[in-house]
Amino acid sequence: MARFVLRRLLQSCVVLLGVTLVVFLLLQLVPGDPVRVALGTRFDPQTYEALRARAGLDQPLVVQYFDYLRRALTGDLGVSFRSGQPVTSIVLARLPATLSLALTAVLFALVIAVPLGIVSAMRSGSFVDHATRVFSQFGVSVPDFWMGIMGILLFAGVLGWLPPSGYVALTEDPARWASHVALPAATVGLVTASILTRFIRSSMLEVLSEDYVRTAQAKGLRTRVVVLRHVLRNALIPVVTVVAVQLASLLGGVIVIEVLFAWPGIGRLTYDAVQARDYPVLQGAVLLVAALFLLVNLLVDILYARLDPRITVK
Amino acid sequence: MSSTRFRLAGATLALLLTATVGCSAGEGVDVDGGNAAGAGGVLNAAIGGEPDQLDPHKTSAYYSFQVLENVFDTLVEPDANLEMQPSLATEWTTSDDQLTWTFTLREGVKFSDGTPLTAEDVVYSYNRIINEKLNTAYKFGTVKSVTASNPTTVVITLTAPTPNLLANLGGFKGVAIVQKANVESGEITTKPIGSGPFALSGYTSGDNIQLVRNDNYWGERPKLDGVRFTFVSDPTVALQNLRGNEVHWTDNLPPQQVPALRDGDEPKVESVPSTDYWYLALNQGRKPYDDVNVRRAIAFALDREAITKAAKFGLATVNQTAIPQNSAFYYEYAPYSHDPNQARQLLDQAGVSDLTMDLMVTSEYPETVTAAQVIASQLEGIGVNVKIRTLDFAQWLDEQGNGNFDSFMLGWLGNIDPDEFYYAQHHSGGTFNFHKYRNPAVDQMLDRARTETDQGARKQQYEQVAKQIVDDASYIYLYNPDVAQGWSKQVTGYQVRTDRAIRFRDVALTR
Repeated sequence: MARFVLRRLLQSCVVLLGVTLVVFLLLQLVPGDPVRVALGTRFDPQTYEALRARAGLDQPLVVQYFDYLRRALTGDLGVSFRSGQPVTSIVLARLPATLSLALTAVLFALVIAVPLGIVSAMRSGSFVDHATRVFSQFGVSVPDFWMGIMGILLFAGVLGWLPPSGYVALTEDPARWASHVALPAATVGLVTASILTRFIRSSMLEVLSEDYVRTAQAKGLRTRVVVLRHVLRNALIPVVTVVAVQLASLLGGVIVIEVLFAWPGIGRLTYDAVQARDYPVLQGAVLLVAALFLLVNLLVDILYARLDPRITVK
Repeated sequence: MSSTRFRLAGATLALLLTATVGCSAGEGVDVDGGNAAGAGGVLNAAIGGEPDQLDPHKTSAYYSFQVLENVFDTLVEPDANLEMQPSLATEWTTSDDQLTWTFTLREGVKFSDGTPLTAEDVVYSYNRIINEKLNTAYKFGTVKSVTASNPTTVVITLTAPTPNLLANLGGFKGVAIVQKANVESGEITTKPIGSGPFALSGYTSGDNIQLVRNDNYWGERPKLDGVRFTFVSDPTVALQNLRGNEVHWTDNLPPQQVPALRDGDEPKVESVPSTDYWYLALNQGRKPYDDVNVRRAIAFALDREAITKAAKFGLATVNQTAIPQNSAFYYEYAPYSHDPNQARQLLDQAGVSDLTMDLMVTSEYPETVTAAQVIASQLEGIGVNVKIRTLDFAQWLDEQGNGNFDSFMLGWLGNIDPDEFYYAQHHSGGTFNFHKYRNPAVDQMLDRARTETDQGARKQQYEQVAKQIVDDASYIYLYNPDVAQGWSKQVTGYQVRTDRAIRFRDVALTR
């Protein structure tokens, strides 16, 4: 097991190295000069040159890249082009907000999707099943920013139950954190729930038609036991992957939602960095997201083995 | 065996969580209204975005200046009519040849950390801008030297008379007086120390900046205990925050709702014309836009009222010169009535037909995208086929710098002195003359007006400049937009300013 983890970690490092190279090269292709953006409408050639030199952008590409790698190995991802702050601390400062939003959203999605998916599969073709499918169709097809705005207008505007936007750290004041996270997490969670519900439903249906389920039923086990012990356990194995992928992508930041709800996470950071052509921050954010993605994948593999003894670590 | 693995995974996740939470905790001082010690309370302000950094000499973002206006001081500062008044300098004299200016500083001014602010700090601040070629270096173009003859006297010597020196030294906080130690420690980008009415007390990246009252402030003690600036980019959400009393003040209002909001009672919404102007520029380095008749034709073809209505929901004043009507330098001149027939004649005169014009606009300023559609339909009426090219700002600036456009629309933001309205844009050596306008007569007038010390003569010269630029259609001016801001009924003593400076020092909160 230890060897397996070690090997996967090494693989992850290679992938991360690839990510730095690809991101670095892609940024060179993006049109738009970061120095000009920093100067905005007040352009002056002298200031321009000074700023360029200060950011090291006058160096050859190869030099810039290896410089970046060398420093990245020591945990130094450079300084923000706009603010002059170390990228590592900027990016890490945004992680808690994104983590708390993503985890809450996934939790919210699971609470909705698991029962809905099960009921829908058990009573396939019934009214509940149809209603569930309409719900999930709605969830995947309506844009999340629209749902977000509607949520704000209803729960913050008309009802006044929740604050329309903003963020309070969980460690600072859990109650206020909860009131602030509710709307964005519900918005993101609804979309995720729609996807998960469909997935759980079809996964359940598949398992329900398996031989061992019929055997279990033939043995005279109660439906409850059959569903919980045999069907659910097996049906959830592929679902774990989907949940993990969803979670990982949410950790990358739900850009639109974070911008809309003024949520200071990775997504909003990425958005701002793109707008300002803040290359070092953008690189740092992508690197972090890639690392999180790899980590989640590793955890999923481990979880897999735990859920299904047939899967042995090779 | 599998349970061991499971615990390992759990432990990793827990470790990761604590590590990240640990990184963020402990920063910032809580200045929430709820636990404020004084009676003044903390004003919550929602601004549209996050400052890029807080070094006033290095930032060029308006979001930074919204905050810094309350943290820093300049030698002089504009009053509500944009006339320069004493601030850190109480009085100043000018030598007979207009080349030496002597400023007397206010006694006993301290930075918010308690250290004294002396003439040396002024010298240090200005030399920093000049020597490091920082953003506002162009404002010191004629400055030969800055010296301190004693702790309360600053002497500025010039290479040429500079009648707009006061506007250059006090126009905005980009020329603020900073503290050397704060700069050298590098903390100025996140923890700036100024001598203004408020001092920075906390900064949560991505979310908010907190200010507390500066008890060392030289002026009248602010009534508020502090100000908290939150970054809310969506105007609908910002308005909802204002209505729900989550914030007390915002300048990020959905423009289409402003007219209705202005008529309402709560929140209070007010607007004033700004000193910004928006314009259309034609690339005179390209044919046929080098022909003045073509440019004039386009100027005649435009219906400014319609453009303003579509782009700004009427929240603007149409204008054919750069300087707005409330300025002392306003010059009433509007030769381009909406006249498609005249436009067509001018195009015939220029021998131009079947013209396809590329119009470059940027999603950074959505009003240019909307205006472009109206402009395109209006120009279609005179047989000009407009191809709208919408770019993001970085790309837009690139193309502008490379001269890769037929035409573009953009605004010039925040001006006080007429030199700022015209020189960089229309002088043939101007740093913002990307549309390649060349008129030796205008160059000469601009150079002369720059050093003209007689105010009456200066005004007259700028009128000539304005007239020539409009006649040549160097820029086709469209409108001066309004500044619209809203605040809750609890806020008293706030005034919307035409230069968009956000000053909270005289504001109070009732509860």
